[in-house]
Amino acid sequence: MPAAEATKQSQGGASSVVYQGATKRYGHSSAPAVDHLDLEVEAGEICVLVGPSGCGKTTSMRMVNRMVELTEGDILIGGESVKKRDAARLRREIGYVIQQVGLFPHRTITQNIATVPQLLGWDKERVRARTAELLALVGLDPELGDRFPVQLSGGQQQRVGVARALAVDPPVMLMDEPFGAIDPINRERLQNEFLRLQAEIRKTVLFVTHDIDEAIKMGDRIAIMKQHGRVEQYATPSEILITPANEFVEDFVGSDRALKRLSLMRVGDISLWRAPNARPGQSTAEVRAELERPDVEVPYALLVDERERPQGWLTKRDLSGDTVPATADAPLGPVLETSDVMRDALADLLQGESMYAPVVDHNGRIAGILSIEIISEFLNSPVAATEEQSAVERPLAPDRASEIAADE
Amino acid sequence: MNSGLLGMPLAAVGEVGEGFFKHRTGATLPCQARPAHLFCWDWATEHINRFGTPALQQFELVVISVLIGFAIAFILALIAHRFKPLQFPLLAGTGVLFAIPSIAFFMLLLPITGRGRETAIIALSAYTLQIIYRNVMQGLNNVPDSAKDAARGMGLTERQILWKVELPLAIPEIVGGIRIATVSTVAIATLAVFANAGGLGSQIYSSSNLVFPTAIIIAGAIAILMAFAIDLVLLTAQRFATPWRRAASEAVP
Repeated sequence: MPAAEATKQSQGGASSVVYQGATKRYGHSSAPAVDHLDLEVEAGEICVLVGPSGCGKTTSMRMVNRMVELTEGDILIGGESVKKRDAARLRREIGYVIQQVGLFPHRTITQNIATVPQLLGWDKERVRARTAELLALVGLDPELGDRFPVQLSGGQQQRVGVARALAVDPPVMLMDEPFGAIDPINRERLQNEFLRLQAEIRKTVLFVTHDIDEAIKMGDRIAIMKQHGRVEQYATPSEILITPANEFVEDFVGSDRALKRLSLMRVGDISLWRAPNARPGQSTAEVRAELERPDVEVPYALLVDERERPQGWLTKRDLSGDTVPATADAPLGPVLETSDVMRDALADLLQGESMYAPVVDHNGRIAGILSIEIISEFLNSPVAATEEQSAVERPLAPDRASEIAADE
Repeated sequence: MNSGLLGMPLAAVGEVGEGFFKHRTGATLPCQARPAHLFCWDWATEHINRFGTPALQQFELVVISVLIGFAIAFILALIAHRFKPLQFPLLAGTGVLFAIPSIAFFMLLLPITGRGRETAIIALSAYTLQIIYRNVMQGLNNVPDSAKDAARGMGLTERQILWKVELPLAIPEIVGGIRIATVSTVAIATLAVFANAGGLGSQIYSSSNLVFPTAIIIAGAIAILMAFAIDLVLLTAQRFATPWRRAASEAVP
């Protein structure tokens, strides 16, 4: 392999992927597996293809690296038609991760990761440096490099699968249910790791799953597919949850879509309530006066220390003296952080059987109060949430749009 | 038998004779003269040299036949792997060859190749085809689809997939086939004597052995040892060629 090609293929960055009437028909069967698919995936985004089994999502994904050959139409990567490329060379520039991982059992972890660099004729030193870098990138102990795949756990194997796909820094990654065969705890960990990694490497990712929760979590944009690769809605996760385009999408997303929206938000993203803060030794009259103010939503005062860290809730009896006592009568209950996901925050509130919970920033300082009421208001106001999502491009379905207008 | 005795230095005969009379008190005849005697140690130690050449011939027959058989079967398997519809016809074809009785095979070849080593090697190679072909096919078919899919998806060409993924992973089955073929060829090669190709069979199929089986036992033992030795060499080679299999058995997750 000429050196020029090797450098060209390790340019990094990301490329857009554009489907133009992409169609796949097997044999002479009347119904195509994928029927005139038009889809634009922006460079650096994770596009999740999700839908029931047999909807053509995997076929659509595999057309990109020509594992499935197009019958009609075209796919452009960075503006260039995949049909013009030699299939094997095209594939070396596209990361490929599958559910069964597909590590080569007879090659060590390092050798597995080095597969494509070796195909491209990288010299030994460069391959060695890159494999070490990748092991670190996916959070694997460098000592594992000399092991064989069978000596690794399922989660570790898929980390190697991701590292192997990233070996030559491809502009596009194809991931076919990459975490589908991994137990729930490790799946969540791998999902989070991949999102962290993606924030750094910013690849264009086509991610196939049948799990709408995974799609909502992983996708910058989600394409919900029905039979024959027909896209029912292509939008951001929050838009799909707030304004499903039709009944199919609504059913697919599930009746708990309101709750699912909570997993897209963090506590710090919402406007919190405030409670009067009281320091030990402060005059209770001052605190009582503050409780009367109309802009204070919480009817209890919060005891904080000198560094504004919440200590407990003050009851009427606590405030009956002249000065605020050093300890509060009522326990603090759950304490949330601004970085907590709303869904978890709600769970904590319910678990603690509290109406209110103090929210602290990363220094432990009080940032506000989250209440059940705030969450319920958030769930009832689709407009507020849509405004928070700047990336919404697809127009709302007419009936939905009028509903929202009425709410306003 | 006489030729063997004549070939021995007289001194050697004398020594053996002394030992014989010293240890077998009461015996009046050397054991080879007593038909009921299954194994005659004295005869064996005296005549062991006569097995050298036949053993070497046998070894050559086995190695050459298995090598030729492997080469042909391997190529057939690769063809069948590429063109799947040929899998069954080739299996059936090698199966027919395998089913021909060996002596009949030699007789069939006589008009074409005459009596001699070539005839024996042709027949013996033909017998290995079925075993090796079947094992190579099995090895290739056992390669996990996910590994092949990943290989293709990463941009390996069909040929690279074959040589870098499929064949290395099929090594255990391929070597397994060669091992079975070798052991069975060691046994069948004793019949090569009927094609006038020598081998240990020359020491087995002799009319006098019907009443004096010692030579049969010695030739048989040599054949068994030969089979074991070759098998051990192949097994060791396989171990070295497939370190990942050892890793699998030592795996401590």
